[in-house]
Amino acid sequence: MVVLGNNPAMEVRNVTKHYIIRHQKNPSLKDTILKGREMYEKFSALEDITFSVNHGETFGIIGSNGSGKSTLLKIIAKVLKPTSGEVIVNGTVSALLELGAGFHTDLTGRENIYLNASILGLKRKDINKRFDDIIEFSELEQFIDMPVKSYSSGMYMRLGFSIAINVNPDILLVDEVLAVGDQSFQSKCYKVIYDFMHRGKTIIIVSHDLDTISDLCGRVIFLKKGKIEDMGDSIRVVNRYRAYVEEIERQRIIEQQRIERKKIFKSIIDSKRKIIDGEEIDRISKLGVGEEFKNRFGSGEAEVTKIEMLDEAGNLIDFCKSDAAVQIAFEVKFKNIVENPIFGIRITDHRNFVVYGTNSRLLGIKTDAYKHGDKVRVIFKQKINLIGGQYFVTVSVGNKDTKTYHDWIINIMTINVLRKNNSEGIADLNSEVSLKEIFKT
Amino acid sequence: MISDFKKLFAYRELLYSLTKKELKVKYRGSVLGFFWSLLNPVLIMLVYSFVFSIVLRQGIKEFAIFLLCALLPFNFFSNSVNYGANSIISNANLVKKIYFPKEIIPLSIVFSNFINFLLELLILFIVLSIFKYKFYMYLYILPAVIVVQIFFVSGISLLVSSLNVLFRDLQHLVSILMMVWFFGTPIIYPLSMVPERFQFIMQLNPMAVFTIFYREMFYYIKHSEGFNIPSLRVILICLGISFGFFFLGYFIFKKIEPKFAEEV
Repeated sequence: MVVLGNNPAMEVRNVTKHYIIRHQKNPSLKDTILKGREMYEKFSALEDITFSVNHGETFGIIGSNGSGKSTLLKIIAKVLKPTSGEVIVNGTVSALLELGAGFHTDLTGRENIYLNASILGLKRKDINKRFDDIIEFSELEQFIDMPVKSYSSGMYMRLGFSIAINVNPDILLVDEVLAVGDQSFQSKCYKVIYDFMHRGKTIIIVSHDLDTISDLCGRVIFLKKGKIEDMGDSIRVVNRYRAYVEEIERQRIIEQQRIERKKIFKSIIDSKRKIIDGEEIDRISKLGVGEEFKNRFGSGEAEVTKIEMLDEAGNLIDFCKSDAAVQIAFEVKFKNIVENPIFGIRITDHRNFVVYGTNSRLLGIKTDAYKHGDKVRVIFKQKINLIGGQYFVTVSVGNKDTKTYHDWIINIMTINVLRKNNSEGIADLNSEVSLKEIFKT
Repeated sequence: MISDFKKLFAYRELLYSLTKKELKVKYRGSVLGFFWSLLNPVLIMLVYSFVFSIVLRQGIKEFAIFLLCALLPFNFFSNSVNYGANSIISNANLVKKIYFPKEIIPLSIVFSNFINFLLELLILFIVLSIFKYKFYMYLYILPAVIVVQIFFVSGISLLVSSLNVLFRDLQHLVSILMMVWFFGTPIIYPLSMVPERFQFIMQLNPMAVFTIFYREMFYYIKHSEGFNIPSLRVILICLGISFGFFFLGYFIFKKIEPKFAEEV
């Protein structure tokens, strides 16, 4: 039934979808009669979406969670009805939205093939024709007469996938299903998708896997909060989306840093006020008092009052790039006579794993003796050779005996290291790679 | 609506598959599968026969057969509607994921119950021939009655199954309503026992008219002279109401259908 020619395989025209969010999901008859149905809010999932997909094109839909991708795909599959606008489809559609939807667990694999394929719109004689292909692809020959309730989830999915692709549609809708199953099943899925592409079928894919999208698709739309943010060449749009995601991530980090800073600032103010008030409080007895001091201990003869991260030029920064040079600076105020204190820092990762720790003594600095009221600024110049992620700084002022501490604050500052690439691990060992072709035909 | 019927016709094989599934699932795992489904009418028959012919001594000859002729068609109706009411919700995974004319779901329940009804009729015929009823004499009327009944049952099922998606408490109401309907239909009593002035109102209920027909065909063949069909007016009204309910149910179902995927 494919209408060939210049008309597109599928056209989405001004599609808008509003969901009604009712405060009570399924009202009873009584409520409806007594209260009417006015208790709802509108949520706009898609707003005036227009695009078309040509015959033989592989088309991608990307966007962050809640951007309306799946809603759009369901509207194309005719499962949902748009609030306004229309979708025109030339040809048969098969949706890989949910594999094995409609399987009945008491029926055997064979019976479910007939049932599921007819739900997907296949005629009985077509099912008979493709029956062997379906079983062969699913690799379930010896289990086909067992009820599917005895199948593993992998077998279940394989059967569902085999049926869906054997419906042999003109247009295939794929929603994230490529992300399920084991390695070999996944590669099989990809093979099928490539096969579809080579046979000139139209494919519409929704995925979070941007590499897959830019690999498979010619054109992509990027949805943002139910609207088309960008549409066009896959590499360009995927890059734009990546930039958007990074920006969001950066904003999140800045916001987090701001909250963190506020907390530290508050703790510093709190500790200052206590000095002004002249309250002599035994530092050790303060252990565990107040949120801010939960991770702090020490004799209190010296006190860390401020910590910050600066770039090479001395500007305050919240995050840094991998292998950037930064300064971690903190100020210490003395309350009593302290001889030759040892200033230290420790960097831990999110699992509380010590990435690096050092101190002034190890680095060969001899410190002076200080008395009440003296103030010192300690600066660690640091190269952040770390893989992107979140790290925490612990600072300490230790006694010269290296056994006791005047002040020790765990995870007082967060360093957010931006991802350079997707290398794994903790340390960025700055690999360089080169190739030398020894033999090449 | 015509395009809806065309689409339904295009999906007739799915209706066939789903009906088959309903029957298979029902009888799977027990050799006596179908006979279990007979247990319910047989028990009801025994209980009512005891009450009416031994305790109350109504004087209806061969009460068990009198009852059975009316009970089986009514069970076809009430089972279809009772199971059908919840059918859209219990098939949420299909409704949300795959596009197809959704009326196939309640209709497949109607048809599986219909197949069941046919099998029960066969059993009834065996019983009738044992007790020397000439049930075959007017058998040619049976297809017409059954077809009209299927339309009526389908209409009510479509209506109830779609409304139940919007108002979930409807299914409780339905089971109570079915009980009222059971007693409002001349099943455990003959229509002639009903006071004259109520008889016409009662015959507005298509189930009552069907019951009269089934009983004339199978029961009164032995116990009374000739074939006492209801008046033409009653038959026409019955046809009107039956087809009216079918179209109303179909229309309302189609109106609510677009909301199914969001509501279930």
